[in-house]
Amino acid sequence: MIVVLSIVSFLIAYVAILSISALGGMFSEKSGTVALSLEGYMTFGAFIGGVMMYVLPSTIPNAVAAIIVILSSILGAGLYSLLLALACIKFKANQTLAGTALNILSTAIAVVLIKQLTRTEALPVGNSRLNFTRFYEIFNINLFGIQGVSFNWLILIALVLIPIVYLIIYKTRYGLRLASCGENPSSADSLGINVNKTRCIGIFISGLFAGLGGLLLITMNAEWEFANGANGFGFLALAVLIFGQWKPLYIFLGAFVFSIFKTLSVIYPSIDFLANLGISSYFYLALPYIVCLIVLIFTSKKNVGPKALGEPYNKGKR
Amino acid sequence: MNKVKTFFYSLLKKESTKTVVTSLWCALIGLIIGFILLVCINAKNAPYGMTSVLGNYLIFTDPQDKLHYFGQTLAKTAPLLAMSLSILVSYKAGLFNLGGSGQYTIAVIIISFLGLEDSANWPWWAVMIIAMIGAALWSMISGALKAFFNVNEVISGIMLNWIALYIANALLTSNSSVWDTSHSQAKVITSSSNAFIPSIGLDRLFDGNSIVGLGMILVLIFTVVIFILFKKTTIGYELKVTGLNKDAANYAGINRVKSILIATGISGALAGLAASLNLQNGFTSWQLSSVPPDIGFQGISSAFLGGLHPIGVIFSSYFIVHISEGGSMITDLGFSPEVASIMTSLIIYLSGFVAFIKEFITRYELKRELNKISRNKEEATR
Repeated sequence: MIVVLSIVSFLIAYVAILSISALGGMFSEKSGTVALSLEGYMTFGAFIGGVMMYVLPSTIPNAVAAIIVILSSILGAGLYSLLLALACIKFKANQTLAGTALNILSTAIAVVLIKQLTRTEALPVGNSRLNFTRFYEIFNINLFGIQGVSFNWLILIALVLIPIVYLIIYKTRYGLRLASCGENPSSADSLGINVNKTRCIGIFISGLFAGLGGLLLITMNAEWEFANGANGFGFLALAVLIFGQWKPLYIFLGAFVFSIFKTLSVIYPSIDFLANLGISSYFYLALPYIVCLIVLIFTSKKNVGPKALGEPYNKGKR
Repeated sequence: MNKVKTFFYSLLKKESTKTVVTSLWCALIGLIIGFILLVCINAKNAPYGMTSVLGNYLIFTDPQDKLHYFGQTLAKTAPLLAMSLSILVSYKAGLFNLGGSGQYTIAVIIISFLGLEDSANWPWWAVMIIAMIGAALWSMISGALKAFFNVNEVISGIMLNWIALYIANALLTSNSSVWDTSHSQAKVITSSSNAFIPSIGLDRLFDGNSIVGLGMILVLIFTVVIFILFKKTTIGYELKVTGLNKDAANYAGINRVKSILIATGISGALAGLAASLNLQNGFTSWQLSSVPPDIGFQGISSAFLGGLHPIGVIFSSYFIVHISEGGSMITDLGFSPEVASIMTSLIIYLSGFVAFIKEFITRYELKRELNKISRNKEEATR
């Protein structure tokens, strides 16, 4: 019973992290900007949230502190994502290049500043690992009173956002405009839509969502090693986005499939049947990525991505 | 005076000069922001910290030390240069090689098993060639997926990075002849080993620093080969055309599948060379890690900073290694070495603006030309 419960708790946490970050990336990609820097946004959101959790004094009531942490980490990642908007929209930079730069930059900034923060007399170099036990206990509710089975209530925010995103993309004017900027920016522009502004908003939303994903990721544990960034979850989210074919519902399903294998890599030692097989733990760790490659083989044949994805919009070419 | 001015303007007109000027601008701005960051962290030590980052080996007073660390920086440039060439080749063929880290990792596995004294201890050239072939095959997985199944090479490259990471962790940690349990990393290839790249007397130029050697010369030869490949050969031309416009390439009868496989193969082999230059010089060995090695991403930075030109890449990868080596010296000043990583990533970020700055220069020139024409007209009417 405990095993089943802990499987479920890991599973929904991973589903929430991956689907929220991938859905954020969808806003960016649907409007025509490659979301390669999801990993960077997640790291930055996690970094801001982590620093907040570290510095907030314990005199602040829990509820207020939690809200401060959530807002600062979401907004921090959102603002960070605007760097991509600046480079790719204003200066028409190569999107893959700028995305890669932001991925490296966020980890570097996080490590430098956190080492600065954790410096003591005894440890002059500092430590890139932060501990936030107090907030771990605030964010994680121990369900059923069983040790080791906890539920992070940030998941609820993420899960509520999924249907809202679905409605925004398919049922609102904004959703259609967003998609038109990624499919055919010239005709969108000729119809009076401000392509660059729409893309900017798309990138900003992707930052906000990924920031929440990053915070959720680190609060699954009581401490986090920032030298590892978001541990590759941003790249996984990007993969989920692609094999979810840029559709909210498929993305959710894709995140679910992925999370099953991701959970398996964490939980397999406690399942007797799998533990007895004697397969290296690294195989289970690699499994989500192998499955992803195989799924991509079957889903990539017909390219359904936004047609203008990766191309800066140039008004002069209209 | 006027002559000098016209000379500079004529230089500015050349595309290559524009690239150099804009790259230097990016580097300068990145460094300034990095300096501001240092001041924010610790204003008292910031100027000295910045001098160490920029000076690297120059801050040593003893000339022998200077030479020793200059050699060290040069030798560490070689792997990064190989990796940048890898990124460059695939980029020219219209592919973005984000799988460099994975290809590097596969080569690391091969080198560890074939090169270490406790396992096979093969001669260095054999280890190097097999590592390059292995990395090339790994990279061609991503190429084949692109060519036959239309899988986005960026995403498959990233997935292959992680798969390679876990393969390396699984294979290397479980083998006692490769794994050094006491240091929790793979054993390092020592200078007495067969697999160590010989220094052919170059070490004597650099205060006996044995890691300076043939590797550096090899990578320069590869740079020239890549330069010639794109400048003079049919294959290079086909790759370039595929990269510029794949429909036009198809129309001209260029086999797209072949181009993709060749491009990914060459770039994988170069990533393997990077691993070989890193490990077979005894700089480092495989360390148990939960994220792929970041050399693949560093290669992207130096490839772009070098203006995606084989010769430019030599300077940009030297520059990046120079800064990061300098950055590793400032820990005792109370800064973390990752400050250098902030600077380099800022520089890559800014190098995205190159196209824009170039356009700015071109516009400035155009304005000058127009002014000249109107001035001439005025004189004529007078």
